[in-house]
Order: sequence, then C-alpha cells, then structure tokens
Amino acid sequence: MMSRKILWQAGLIVIVGVAIGLALHFSLLREYGAGEFLQEDAVSEEYPDILFITLAEAEDLFNTRSALFIDSRQAELYNAGHIFGAFSLPYGVGETEVLLAEWGRPLDETLVVYCDGQECRSSVHIARQLYDAGFLDIRIFFGGWEEWNGAGLPVEGDYAP
Amino acid sequence: MLRNKALIFTFSLIVGGLFIWAGLLKIIDPLEFARNISNYRVLSPKLSLLVAITLPWIELLSGLFIILGIMRRASALLISLFLIGFIVLIGVTIFRGISVDCGCFGTFSRKADFMLMAQDLVMLLLSGTVFLKTKPKLQGR
Repeated sequence: MMSRKILWQAGLIVIVGVAIGLALHFSLLREYGAGEFLQEDAVSEEYPDILFITLAEAEDLFNTRSALFIDSRQAELYNAGHIFGAFSLPYGVGETEVLLAEWGRPLDETLVVYCDGQECRSSVHIARQLYDAGFLDIRIFFGGWEEWNGAGLPVEGDYAP
Repeated sequence: MLRNKALIFTFSLIVGGLFIWAGLLKIIDPLEFARNISNYRVLSPKLSLLVAITLPWIELLSGLFIILGIMRRASALLISLFLIGFIVLIGVTIFRGISVDCGCFGTFSRKADFMLMAQDLVMLLLSGTVFLKTKPKLQGR
C-alpha cells in the first residue's frame, strides 16, 4: 500500500518547504537570534495566559461588546484619541495596583490592552499588572492605536482626523 | 475509470487550492502566524517562529503538487497528515477551553471551533480519497 517511495517523496516535499522557508526568512531568524522579539517572548513564557490578538480579533471583540479595552498610553495621548469606549490606565503613573484593587471589575472580564502600536511596550507592562492583580482573560492588541485608527474603526477624543 | 479520474482531480483541486491559499496568506506575514501558533500554547515562542516560517511553504508545495499531479500520492499523504494534526490540535484547544483565532488563513482566520473541525474533517475525506484512490504510476521496466 504505502510504498517507501511515497514516504521519500513526502519527505522531499517537507525538506524543500523547510529549506525555502528558512532561506527566505533568514534575516528574520537572525533578528530573532539578536533578541529583537525577546520582550514579547518573555511575556509568552512567563505569562502563557496572556494572548496576543490581531486587529481582526480586536474588532470582533469590539463589535460583539465582549471585551473592555484598556489604553495603557499616557493621559494626553488618551485624551487626544482612543478606541471608542476604552478605559485609560496609563503605565508608570502612580499606583496601578491600588487603582486596580479599587477598580471593582469582575476578574473574568475579557480585557484588551493596547498602546500606540508595534513599537510600544506599555501594553505589555499593564497586561502583566492586570494579570498579577488576578484578571483571568487578558489580551494584548499589538497593532494598537495606530492600526485601529488607520483602519478607520470607531474612536473618540479631541483628535480630529 | 474515467469518472474516477475526474473525481480525484476535482478533489485535488479543492484541497490543493485551499492549501495554496492558506499557505500564501501565512507566508505574507510569518510573525503574525507565529503569534497565532504560540496562542495555542503548545509550542514555545522559538518553535512557533520556526514552524511559522516553514509550515506554510510545505502547505503551498503540497497544495501545488496535488493539483499538478506531481507526486500526487505523497502530497495527498502530507495534506492528510496536516489535517489530522489540525483536527487534533483544535480538539485539544477546545478541550482546554482556550479561545483562539485558528490562524489558518492569515487575517481571514476565524475561531478554532467545532465548525472548523468539521470543515477539516471534510477536507481530510477528500485528501484521503485522493491518497487511497490515485493509481501509482506504472513504471517502465
């Protein structure tokens, strides 16, 4: 039935596929080796329950109103413009822990944390703090404000496009 | 005999087309796909990236080959193995109660749920048929 030849051929397809992939993304692997994505990985390894979501998923959660969006940027940026209905929780300002303790939101609520975009890391820090405060379903929307606003999705604030 | 051939080609076209499409969408954005994989919480981030870089190419090649009839049985075998893997993975994910984007079609992805599992099962039926019913080429002696 399953001849050895078939297995060889299947192996060949796998090897060629792997070779093309590795050759094409060699630079990506090098960046990885240089530690470019370590921050994100550290989160994944230390906090495996924190998920990273895409714009489509964030939009889906927004449309179905099944998540609370949390803006981790500084207050001025939040005031200038933020995802519609997002809650401001700026990173590095005062006692986030105290604030969270008095926050009174249910711990099983789905939270989507975001900051400016791919380059910022405050969403990661806030996500960790939320996790440590006991929240169970935390997601980081890495595309952040830039991607959301760029896609023309609902926003609010003083910002006039 | 002829009808059989047409049927196998049709099945190959459906499954192969889907795999080519899925492969291409992931090749465009390997980092996004790596994130999707690590959201399943099965592989470490390092392995996720490696899989994200290589797996879409294997999908693309086997999809292409099954349609073109190059090493069709081997391609059908690979695709079937992939599908079995996906079905098991989705099952485990549902069982663990993790809600993730499947990551199967890049930005067009949907939730990893029972519907997706059913879809993969149908695909497995098609690719399995191609694998079992394709006649090995006669070799000149």
